[in-house]
Amino acid sequence: MADEQISLPSLILIVVLGGLVVRYLFFSSPAPASQQQPREAAVERIQQMFPQLDRRTILWDLQRTGGSISATTERVLSGRIETPPVTFQPPSPPRSPANAASSATARSHQQKPAVPKSTEPDLITRYNLQSRISESSGGAENGDSVDGKGKAWSSNRDERQSALQRRRDEMIIAARRKMEAKIAAERAGTGSQ
Amino acid sequence: MASTAHRRLLQEYRALTNNPPDGITAGPMSEDDLLQWEALIQGPEGTPFEGGIFPAELKFPKDYPLAPPTMKFLGEIFHPNGMCCPHLPMGRYRRKLINIASVRPRLHLHPASPGDDPNHYEHASERWSPIQSVEKILISVMSMLAEPNDESPANVEAAKMWRDRRAEYEQKVRDGVRRMLGL
Repeated sequence: MADEQISLPSLILIVVLGGLVVRYLFFSSPAPASQQQPREAAVERIQQMFPQLDRRTILWDLQRTGGSISATTERVLSGRIETPPVTFQPPSPPRSPANAASSATARSHQQKPAVPKSTEPDLITRYNLQSRISESSGGAENGDSVDGKGKAWSSNRDERQSALQRRRDEMIIAARRKMEAKIAAERAGTGSQ
Repeated sequence: MASTAHRRLLQEYRALTNNPPDGITAGPMSEDDLLQWEALIQGPEGTPFEGGIFPAELKFPKDYPLAPPTMKFLGEIFHPNGMCCPHLPMGRYRRKLINIASVRPRLHLHPASPGDDPNHYEHASERWSPIQSVEKILISVMSMLAEPNDESPANVEAAKMWRDRRAEYEQKVRDGVRRMLGL
């Protein structure tokens, strides 16, 4: 009887404590989710002030300043903001399922320039033009006709996109060919002298 | 998203496609997001930048054209008003951001709000206004490649070299142009 009286409150205590421990150990992830709201607001505010900074950099700096907008602003203004390490993986921006697809593509486009930034490849690598470079000069003529056609505004957005892409590629390839010819001419000039 | 910014950007994109200025190709990276553009600017002839192609990224605010876009060169460019040495971690963003405020003819990308005048020399007419356009920005940046403005250098090293050792500066620019083209 005495045993039961002691064990009932202690049993409740154990259950409550156990529940708290389990909650602390396994369900701690929802807690940062509630923290994420102010963090996102902070990122947005800083991005409004400094549109040139990307989200990842801001998040990295906010993490280092303990989420202080003013401290991060101070660091940006004094030029002390640092590039986050490659290993830093910021949480993806919260988005509604409705625009998930469009923001996914937007994100892939944001990441596109981010990759060359670290390595600074040339334009050929950046726009994947290696195969076009090795094409014969016949390919250039073909490209010119395509270029002329691509200049007109199309009502189809996919056509517009590919026409713009083509014009970019042609511009780079034309510049590269011209420069190759110039270098070859310089070499021939120094060789004959 | 049929906002003013959207309509205006589509209209500018259309004008730039039908009637592209010499040596400039510009348009949105994807029409899913018209606020992110990419532009290629050709180096002006008769300058060490001749023959080069310089990619740049333009980011438009949601209230464009009331507020100006920001522009950033994506690759390596050695210019007093541009940036150099992107591999340097220090001040990377400041160096990379082209100082469009120093573009000639002066084109200020500050919103023309009264009282907001960090550079006291500028007149309201020289600042950003909604009648400016992507085309005007890109043409101004192109002319700035030919004529650096050493009053407000973004890249001090390049500005010093441009002023004191012009031959070395031009050689460095030419080398950069070739590297960009993978040569």
